[in-house]
Order: sequence, then structure tokens, then C-alpha cells
Amino acid sequence: MLKMNVKILERDVLNPLAEKEYLTLNSAIIPETITEISLFDNTKPNADIILRYIEDNFNGIKFSHVKKPAGAPATLKQINKAAQADLSILALGDCGSCTTWVILDAIKLEKKGIPTISICSDKFTEFAAELASSNGMENLRILEVEHPIAGLSKEKVQEKTLKILPKLENMLGIEY
Amino acid sequence: MGKFDKKTQQNISNDICGCFIDDLIGENIENKTSNDRLCNSHENDLEVYVDPDIEKISHDFYMRKLTDGLPIIPPTRDKVDKFLQYTDHDPDELIAVLQPKQGKATIEKVAINAVMAGCIPAFMPLIQHIISAVSQERFNLPGVNATTHPTAICTILNGPISREISINSGAGCLGPGNIANATIGRALRLCLMNIAGAVPGIMDHATMGSPAKYSFCFGEDENVNTWEPLHVERGFNQDDSTVTVMAVDSPQNVNDHRSTNAEDLLDTIIDTLSVAGCNNSHVPGELLVIMGPEHAQTILKNGWEKTDVKKYIHENTAISVELGDRGGRKLDDQWIDNDEVKLTRSPDDVIIVIAGGPGKHSMIAHGFGTSSDSVNIPLKLKTGKLAKSIQDFKS
Repeated sequence: MLKMNVKILERDVLNPLAEKEYLTLNSAIIPETITEISLFDNTKPNADIILRYIEDNFNGIKFSHVKKPAGAPATLKQINKAAQADLSILALGDCGSCTTWVILDAIKLEKKGIPTISICSDKFTEFAAELASSNGMENLRILEVEHPIAGLSKEKVQEKTLKILPKLENMLGIEY
Repeated sequence: MGKFDKKTQQNISNDICGCFIDDLIGENIENKTSNDRLCNSHENDLEVYVDPDIEKISHDFYMRKLTDGLPIIPPTRDKVDKFLQYTDHDPDELIAVLQPKQGKATIEKVAINAVMAGCIPAFMPLIQHIISAVSQERFNLPGVNATTHPTAICTILNGPISREISINSGAGCLGPGNIANATIGRALRLCLMNIAGAVPGIMDHATMGSPAKYSFCFGEDENVNTWEPLHVERGFNQDDSTVTVMAVDSPQNVNDHRSTNAEDLLDTIIDTLSVAGCNNSHVPGELLVIMGPEHAQTILKNGWEKTDVKKYIHENTAISVELGDRGGRKLDDQWIDNDEVKLTRSPDDVIIVIAGGPGKHSMIAHGFGTSSDSVNIPLKLKTGKLAKSIQDFKS
């Protein structure tokens, strides 16, 4: 009786995942002397309270205020205005699209040589870091604040901001 | 043992030994013992390739977060190659880099995801153009993909190619039952997940998402005698074919069986549109009105042009400042007019298309506000020439 070995093989499947665009960017160095900080407010609820509380707790530094959209890119004019300071603090990334544009606008400033600190709530910091990394800036400075921020009283937001001041101080290399 | 004769066959795969079955069984077959193999040059006499098991591959891909949860068609080389026959680009050509992951949307990667979605090869040019459209800056794909808002991407097809592929623009066009409507939108979603990285909970942060994120694609009904269709309104000719992408919430029905004039009917549509809780309420932008043909006829009867309808909806779709200022972004003073917020910036933000079957219904969908504008692009060949048929893309 003739025996014939027949092997049944499944065809391979192709990988649907895309390769990533390879980018490597470095964040700008924070200068030893900081004279002016721009507070870049995306107008998310209570972002202004966080930024104002930071301003009130750092003496001897000039603060400027710039507003930007939350779920969309800042205009060139807004970016240029924020870039006039030695450093920019962006707030607030506490949802998907606003975190996206806090990070992507921060990277635009970094590319201009302006160091940034992006304040994001802890539910979105992992995403923020991954997005920064995908866009080539693995070492973008992200400052985590406890989620949620929206819907809280002014006092509660200030309480949460107080907790992040030591980390901010450390990032800035100055005492508040 | 049959003679080993390579002959001159150039198309024999390396995966088989090169013997012909006639040779293998044709000579001295009676001398073979039951344990002998027919051919010594290969472990097996015959290797038969079959398509992978759909259930197994679907499960494997699902566990790797590569699907929307529904079964997929395994993207084998031969299936993907059939899609590559419907493009005039090379497989490794880059259509776009998609945010947030910065994924490279090459023609082949798009084809792989289209196969998975259950598309037929002829849909490839449409999906390729849809990817190109969503990557344009004014669409804001990074925001649309990552938002906590339940933002889906609606794709509207216009022109002869939409009819050539039999997209449904009639009864049930937003529901199940048509392969183009069901799978073109799904292919886009899989591309967003696997190329752009918009995996729910990872880089797609929709608090709840939306059923419209599975697939939201339909054609405009250009056969009914109404206003100029969307692509003509955007400057293309009637016989050009276009894709339009728009970031929207789930559609909501407007049931009006009783209005007999334009104003009454549009007031029902406006009342359905004028709600808090959408993005337009605090960052005014585009709105989509998918008007049923019968509703359109009611309006046309009064002699209203499309521009009149757009103007009327723009001027009257508004909510109170108090409700408007409850959205994600602080309500900007520029949008406040007499203690009200208009949900659109101008009549051009009111996007009207005709679709659907018999019945006194329309559909509305709020947009992504100022954060995203719709993109309408023509189906073009690599040469820049406008495509007149899907077959123009076939290589």
C-alpha cells in the first residue's frame, strides 16, 4: 500500500501593526536662572487655579499668561507668546485630546529651545509619556497631579497643587 | 520512485520538492512499501497550504489588541495582494504618518487592515484616500483619536464611484446590511487602532466610546431631485468622486411626520441639535445633518435653497450660555451672543447630505467643535488625474 505524506500548512498572516516614524528629540535644558515663566492655560476647568497657585508660591519670578485651545493645537501666535519666557508651564492634561495638545504644544516649544513642564492628571500621565515618546521626546517633563481636577472646589484644587510643588521645585531647580 | 525531473518549471514554490505528482506515482509504484515515502528530497510528499482558521486567528489577534472585538478575515499574503492590485502605488509607499503613535500608514499596512475588516479588494482606493483625508492637519487626528469624547469618524462617499461599489445611500444606510458601509468604516477603525495606535484605553481615551466607532460610512443619495450634493458644494463636478471625513458623535434621529413646511420641519431639526453636552455647545463647529429625502422634499416645496437651510440652522441652533459653559473648555466670549451660544460658527459649518429611504426621518450628529474640520478629497490617481471608475486604479 502506497503511503503518501501530505502536510497541511496554514498560510502565514501579515502583521497589521505599523512601524513607527523614528524621531529622537531632546528636551531643552532649564536655565540656571529663571527670570520669567509663561503659564500656558488650555482653559480646562480649574487649570487656571493650578497655574495661579503656582504663580502665588514662587516669589521673584515674573509670570506671563497665555491661553490656548484644549483639544486642538495652539496657534503660532500663542506658541510664540509662550516662547517669550525662559520656561513654560502647560496645564492641564486631564482628558485625551487636551493631554494630546498639552504634550504636542509642549514639544513645539521645546523645539524652539523653550523648556517646558506639562501638568497632567495621573489618569493621563502614562498616555502623555507615551505620546511624547512617540513624537521623539522621551524626556519631556511631565508633572503629575492627582485626578480629577474638574468639578472640584478651589480649595481642593489648591490642596492637590500644593502636593506637586516640591516636585515642581525640583524640576525648576529653585525653592518656592 | 518516480524520476526527479525539474523540467523547466520556474513557478514551482521552494516549499515543495519539485517532483510532479505524475512522476511520483507513475513508476514502480508497486515496489513501494507502506512505510516508504514517495520522494526522498523533502520531508513530505505534498504540502498543502490552506487559509488559517478564522476563529483561531481572530482570537490570536484579539488577544494582541489588533481587532475591534469582532472576528476578522486573516490577512494572508494572497488576500493582501488582491487589494494591492487596486492601487497605483507601491506597497511600501507611505500615505501618511498617523498620530498619536506616529505609525507609518503604508499602502500594504492599510491593505492588511482592510482585508481584516472584511472589505473586498475594490474598496482599497477608497480606504487609501480616507486615510489620506484623516491625516490632514485641520482634521486633528491626534485629538480625535485620543479624546474622552465619544468621537467617531463619519465617512461620506460622493460621486459615481460610490455607486459603482454599491454603497448604501438609501433605506438603512446607517445600519447593517451592506458590505461597503459595514467594512469601509471598519477598515478605517482598524487602521486607526493598528497604525495610529488608537487602541481603546491605551491611546484612544473615549470615556465610553460609541457604536459609531465600529463603522460609520455611507453614500449621499444623489439620485433624488434635491440640492447639489456635498462634493459639488465643495467645488467638485457631479461626475467626480470624493470621500469626506468628519469627526462626529453618534447620530441622533429627528422624527417629524407632521410638519408640512420648511420652517416647522427645520425647527424640529434645530430643537434636536440645540443641546448641552456636545462639543459644539462650548467650542462651536461643524454639525452634520443627514436629511431624509422626504424631509428634503418638504423643504424644497417651499422653494428653499440649500444655502437658506444652512443659514436658518446656523442662526437658530443655540443654547443658553449657562448650559454652554459646562463643557471641557471655558466658553470663550467670542461665541456669546445675547446670552446664547450658537453651535456653529457660520452657515458653512452646517453640513447637509441627503440619504435614507422612505419615511419622515432625518439624522443629526454633532461635530468635534472648533477642534476638527471635515476634509473632502477627490479620488485621484497617482498621476493626479481624477478617477472616473474604481477600475482606473486596477493594475
